[in-house]
Amino acid sequence: MGKDLILEKLTKKFEKIVAVRDMSIEIMEGEFVCFLGPSGCGKTTTLRMIAGFEIPTSGKIIYDGDVINDIIPQRRNFGIVFQSYALFPHMTVKENVGFGLKMRKVEKSQMSRRVDELLHLVGLEDQKFKYPPELSGGQQQRVALIRSLATFPQILLLDEPLSALDAKIRVNLRAEIKRVQTDLGITMVYVTHDQEEALSISDRVIVMNHGYIEQVDKPIEIYKNPNSKFVADFVGTSNFFEGELEADMFLDKSTGLQFALSRDTRDFSAQQRKAVSISIRPEKIHLYKNLAKIPSGLKKTNVKEGVIDVVTFLGVIVRSIISMFNEYVIVDITEKDFEKAMFKTGETVQLYFPPEDFLIFS
Amino acid sequence: MEENQAIVIKPVKTVLPDQAVAYIIVGIFAIFFAIFLILPLAQILKSSFVTEGGFTFQNYIEYFGKARIRRSLYNSLYVAGVTTFITTIMAFFMAYAMTRTTIRGKSFYKAVSSLPLMAPSVVQALALISLFGRNGLVTNWLGGKWDIYGPTGIIISELFYCFPYALLILITTLSAVDARLNEAAESLGAGALKVFWKVTIPSARYGIFSAAALAFNLTITDFGNPIVIGGDYNVLATEIYTQVEGMQRFDLGATISVILLVPAVLAFVLNNYFTKRNYSLISGAARPFIRPSSRSKKLIFSAVSIVIVGAIIIIFWAILWTSIVDVWGGRAGQSKQILRWLTAFSTRHYNFSHRGRSISVVWTSLWISLIVAFFGAWLTLFAGYIVEKRKPKGNQLLYLITVLPAAIPGLVLGLGYILAFVRVNWLYYKASIVILNIIVANFTLGMLSTMTNMKNIDKSIDEASTSLGADLPKSFFQVIFPLSRVSFWNNILFFFERSMVTISAVIFLVSPKTQLASITIIHLIDDGYIESACAMSTIVVAIVVVVHVLFLAIFKIKGIKVV
Repeated sequence: MGKDLILEKLTKKFEKIVAVRDMSIEIMEGEFVCFLGPSGCGKTTTLRMIAGFEIPTSGKIIYDGDVINDIIPQRRNFGIVFQSYALFPHMTVKENVGFGLKMRKVEKSQMSRRVDELLHLVGLEDQKFKYPPELSGGQQQRVALIRSLATFPQILLLDEPLSALDAKIRVNLRAEIKRVQTDLGITMVYVTHDQEEALSISDRVIVMNHGYIEQVDKPIEIYKNPNSKFVADFVGTSNFFEGELEADMFLDKSTGLQFALSRDTRDFSAQQRKAVSISIRPEKIHLYKNLAKIPSGLKKTNVKEGVIDVVTFLGVIVRSIISMFNEYVIVDITEKDFEKAMFKTGETVQLYFPPEDFLIFS
Repeated sequence: MEENQAIVIKPVKTVLPDQAVAYIIVGIFAIFFAIFLILPLAQILKSSFVTEGGFTFQNYIEYFGKARIRRSLYNSLYVAGVTTFITTIMAFFMAYAMTRTTIRGKSFYKAVSSLPLMAPSVVQALALISLFGRNGLVTNWLGGKWDIYGPTGIIISELFYCFPYALLILITTLSAVDARLNEAAESLGAGALKVFWKVTIPSARYGIFSAAALAFNLTITDFGNPIVIGGDYNVLATEIYTQVEGMQRFDLGATISVILLVPAVLAFVLNNYFTKRNYSLISGAARPFIRPSSRSKKLIFSAVSIVIVGAIIIIFWAILWTSIVDVWGGRAGQSKQILRWLTAFSTRHYNFSHRGRSISVVWTSLWISLIVAFFGAWLTLFAGYIVEKRKPKGNQLLYLITVLPAAIPGLVLGLGYILAFVRVNWLYYKASIVILNIIVANFTLGMLSTMTNMKNIDKSIDEASTSLGADLPKSFFQVIFPLSRVSFWNNILFFFERSMVTISAVIFLVSPKTQLASITIIHLIDDGYIESACAMSTIVVAIVVVVHVLFLAIFKIKGIKVV
């Protein structure tokens, strides 16, 4: 067994507000996990408890078999990367990176070698004697990253490390963090509200909401099989319809909208069947110019007519907002297909909702 | 990787967890303030209520029974009321000129306006005496028969003592209140006067109230000016002094102190309340360019500024000139000689030994001020850091205690020290009690400026150093202190200046052995040596101004912005 980090029934209350409730999770040595959720969901509080900045109200934090609730932050040797970089502006890059080693009274020559090695790791050798305000945001966060790695921490905690950066730098640095993690084989716990970031970087994603864990899974599973309406809504984009189940059909009595579903609905109790939501991802919906274009063999009940209301180009895909049954449906199709069919705003189109792509939530 | 393993990483050695260190520091401060703030105040209360026979209102009955001392309450309220009213109006017009008009020489006016902050609160009265007193320059020159001693003299002195404080608040208010409101009103067709009454004044109202409350507090607690120019007109502060020093009636002094505390604390609380309301009203919106003012507007506001600033310049010029000419004022009816004597210079007034005093008081003031500056700046930095950044339990209580000194009149705190520490040998009439008193009396402002600075340091900077293995003292000295240098040196300057010019806080605490320059001014005036008092004032003001300018120059060279 490796040096795993286990959170056991962890709860944190701030006066009357419960930030984290009864959280249990095991993080394997060398694993890259992301805490994902909207602001105020408790993800940062969880990270701060792991770091030792907050004392849990109840529950245990276990590392390598020992309960570390009462160990002071200085002795945990977990590195932390902050959203605001938190570099010491009055110290050079070298002094910043060497700070942790200095606190541990590491010999000067060794310290200097370690600092050089880390600067090399992120390609900042020539910035050694500069002060943080002289560096770009991306460079500053690289320095913050290696500063937290200098003392060979067992776990690296990252609190929204890329939120303050521009979109392009964010993507580059994301890849770099992943590379460093793979190279060093270090356990990383990463907190973010950016679902794209979470899905692209981590081995496992922990989706949080209101202090609870909603779902823990591999990124692809989180996206494909969200186990709650919250996850389906928060991760990626989904179209939701509210209504009830009748046999294998979905029915919205107020608008008369109905869909055939192919999922097994037997698990839903009679009570639950009265009020369900179903969701479908925008890229799963097919778009046709007119009825004649629809291939045969598709379930006719799932073909609906709508009017293109708004069209936005997002690069590779084109997102159309289509009004249908007094509701708006988001449909993504590739730019290529969109061009080919020459869809226009205001045009009446046919939508096909594949029964197997609906998810049902009670 | 092999190289990596060669580096030996030992776990961090920590003696105590940060929380424990923070508690200990809060505890130390709590004990410090319990002894040097709460205990003296408790002694005041006790002395006013408790006699040999037990708890009694005897002292209060005696106070209100004697017409003479009863009058001191009325006198104080009258003087403070009138001063507050006039100062606030003066400061408002001056602030308006500084922020809303395009008159020339604003920075000069502002610099001169801040001069009174660097002088003991006795120079105003002293200048009045040397100009308009019984043997004053103007009195003799014009053969005037007026009497400057009394309420008029006090009010004029206090005007120029409170003015810079009120001005600072109103400049902040008027430059932060959105000037676009005025433009909007004008564009809707409102005339200039209407805009002024209906927009400018209402939008600055909390700043005006806050300035007024502060002026009231400063005037009612001031001791230096009324003691030298009040004559027979007694106010609460001078009555405390008379009872204690003149009659040795400590109990009655304590009783009057409690009576003085009521309006002083009330004004302080009001000032705090209005300051908070003011900040909530001030918008961070961009301040538009001030349009060039009309000629008549410029003329009026330049005139207002010149009159006020001119008066301040005359005050300091009179002090300086009185001290360096051989004969000042001369006798009535010798108009021609009086003016000729103004250029007959002499250094004889700087020879204090002829006046039974010694220049050594300046050195005492200097070294005491340096110690006060050093400890004051460090203590406020520690306290501000712990309260603002580490937030241990009880930090709110510590914060409240540190705000308290600003509400307590210096004279009252000083009397409390005498009552509380009369039996403590290493304090009683020693330099130590003077130093401790000045630090405690000025702790609030030093602490508030530190906390403002701490708020500007990102919380994660402190946490980053913690996670890298630095314990609280290491974080403080290696990370927080280097980032707080500006506020630290500002506080050094602040405590030094307060200590050089303070009068009321230490008047009861000095002794022939530890005598201060600022107190010596009062004694010299008391002995009738106006010229030597001016000489001593000149020395004190010169030291403070030189140090201040030196600091500003260093800040400027180092590229540090001073707010």
